[in-house]
This record gives sequence, C-alpha cells and structure tokens, in this order.
Amino acid sequence: MKILSLFCRSHVFHDQLEQSRVRLYRVAYSWSHDVALADDLVQETLSKALKNASQLRAPELLNSWLFSILTNCWRDHFRQHREMEDIDEIEDYRCVHETTPEDEHAQTQIVGRVRGAVARLALGQRQVLTLVDLEEFSYAEVAAILEIPVGTVMSRLCRARRALKEMLQELASVQSAPTRQIRRIK
Amino acid sequence: MKRDDQGVSDEFLNAFVDDQLDGAEKSQAFDAIEHDDGLKERVCELRGLKERMRHAYEHPPTRGRSAVKGRRLRTSHLQALVACLLLCIGGASGWFAHTWTGMGGDREMRRLLQSVQRNDVGAEPQKIIVHVGSSNPVRLKTALDETESLLDSSRRSGRKLQVEIVANGGGVDLLRADVSPYAKRIGLMQEKYPNLGFMACGQTIKKLQEKGVDVQLLPHTGVASSALDQITLRLKEDWVYIKV
Repeated sequence: MKILSLFCRSHVFHDQLEQSRVRLYRVAYSWSHDVALADDLVQETLSKALKNASQLRAPELLNSWLFSILTNCWRDHFRQHREMEDIDEIEDYRCVHETTPEDEHAQTQIVGRVRGAVARLALGQRQVLTLVDLEEFSYAEVAAILEIPVGTVMSRLCRARRALKEMLQELASVQSAPTRQIRRIK
Repeated sequence: MKRDDQGVSDEFLNAFVDDQLDGAEKSQAFDAIEHDDGLKERVCELRGLKERMRHAYEHPPTRGRSAVKGRRLRTSHLQALVACLLLCIGGASGWFAHTWTGMGGDREMRRLLQSVQRNDVGAEPQKIIVHVGSSNPVRLKTALDETESLLDSSRRSGRKLQVEIVANGGGVDLLRADVSPYAKRIGLMQEKYPNLGFMACGQTIKKLQEKGVDVQLLPHTGVASSALDQITLRLKEDWVYIKV
C-alpha cells in the first residue's frame, strides 16, 4: 500500500508540475524575452523539480520552490554563457541598449511596448517586478526565491516601476508624435 | 508611514498597491490618499502599470511545444519510474545478497564447528563460546541447530565439550522469555545438555530497561556484566570464539 501511495503522490506531484508549466513559462519569457530560451528554462526547471522532489519540504511551498529552481536555472544559463556578464555583477546595471529584440517592431501595441520596456530594465529589477506583478508573490517570498533581502526587493521594485513608467511615456510620445508630412515640390 | 520629498515614499505606495501593508499601515495609506489628489494619481499610475504588466504577459508567445514538451515531461516521469523500479530491484538484490552473505557467515560457523567436531579427543575439553548479536531468526536457528548437533556428536563420541552461547544486542531476543521464538527448544536443550550455558549481555538488558522494556529472561540464563567482558574472559581461558 505504501508503494501504491508513493505512486499516487508521484502522480499528483506530476500533475502539479504540469499545471505550473504555463506560469513558469510566462515568468521565464518575461525575464529572457526569448521563446526558445524560456522553453528550455522551464523544461530544465521541471526536470530538476522531478529529480529533487524529495527536497520539497511542504506541498504549499511548491510554487515558490519551483520559481527558486527557475531562478537557479536562469543563473546557470548566464554562467554557462560566459560571453555575457555574470548575473551577480549586472544585478543593478541598467541595460541601456538602443534597441531591444522587440522594441523596434512592437512599439505600436501596448503589449509590445510594455514587453519592450521590461526587456530594457536591469535584470534584478525585471525579476522582482515580474514575480510581484505576474505571480503575485509577496515581497518576502520574492526575497526567498531570489535570495536577496526584502529591502532590496522593495528598492528594486520601486526603481523598476519608476523606469517602466518613464520608458512607457517615452514610447507613447514617440508613437503619438505627428508624422512628417511629405510635400511635393515641383 | 515612510515619507520622502514627495510626501509619501514610493516604496510605501508600492507596498500599498501590492497589498503588502499591515492593517494599521493600510488605514494610514487610505487616509492619506483620500486627502491628497497627488497621492491618488500616483496610486492610480502604479495600479495602471501593474495591470499593463499582467496584460502584456497574459499570453506570451510560444513555439508550439505542447505535444513535444508533454512527451518530454512524460519521458522524464517514465525515467523516474524506471529509476524507481531499478532502485527496487537493486534494493531487493542487496537484501538477498545480504542474506546470502549472512548464510555465508552461517557456513563459516558450520565450518568452524565441524573443525572443532573433527578434533581428536584430547585430555582438555573443547570449549566454545558462540556469540549471537543479531535477532535474525535464521541465524538464531542456525546457531541452535549447529550447537545442538555439536553437543550431540560429542556426547555420542564421548568427547568432552563445553559450549556457551552469549547474546547481546538483538541477539538477546533469543533468551527473552516473552520474545524468544525458541524458548521451548532452549529449555529442552538445557535439560538435555548440562554442558551448555546461556549468557545475556547486562548492558543490553540495561538499555532495554531504560527504554521501559520489562526484560524477562529464560530460566537458567546467566547475565554477564557485558557480552564483551564475557567473551574477553573466555578468550583468556582459551575458549574458541565463534561469531554468528
């Protein structure tokens, strides 16, 4: 009977993981803005969760545990790709690329504008913002997931929203600026 | 309430919008917002940002992965299942291997006992101390079987033999009146062979009593200060030591 209950628990656990896939993907995509990378990160997260299922102390912690694994996978991704800066070193660095993969073609739509603006946020700010806004984690949970103090969560969130607001205003003003009339001169 | 040059700090307003304030702080925030249009506007902006964030990532683009990914996860699950089965098989074989090793120990014991049995009848009686440290019924039975066989053989051949079985740890179960599976058999053996003795380890009994176990030993069972003391004593007296 013990073996049967173990298999049942395993089945339930598997279902819970499947249900978390969409949410993990949404956050992974909001961090990377790369469909393939987000997919790989989620797959890696779920594989690790299956492998280390015994480490989950309480079922109610499943959600934050999964996002902690996702954070580690994201970190590992940066460590494996050394041509990029280590995530710890760029945690508060404001990425000020002139263009992002999305912002050129997506400025006309609100969805694209927000995604473009989020993609330009510093990585640490982006992570805090998405975990709070998309997943509605408490500040304490975000602090545990990202392994940073609650005060840092609050300050990053504050800076992220301030920057997001400014960028969205800039993008909106670019969109609403009158287009130059072409006059035919003979 | 935290204040900055704008009056109420952004951190505080963010915490308000994210529902991270406790009851008292929330009341303060509501009071302040009610009387300050600037604050109202900032709160509205923050809420608007939050809503836009949710809207922007409500349906993130995918690469048509559902079927493949589902299979991949199922594969992982299957791998986990196979791993579990392999673990079970490994565990079972480990258990059988352990049992086999245990039987090997019993074979070793038989070999030693038979070598004693084959010894020529000398002036000095053979003295054997058999140490039982496990409650494994197979081992207990083997110890009793071989001891009985040895005693019977020596009696038939007229050799002098003295055997003492010392039990400690789980082996003490052999000598506990309420637990031993061989209580009757041991009683019969004691009646039949006066040259057979049983000793229980005093330390083990003490530990059991400390746990609240009422230890009742079989009749005519001695208690040594400890199994180790008894074995050391017997070895000094040139007894042959056999561990089961």
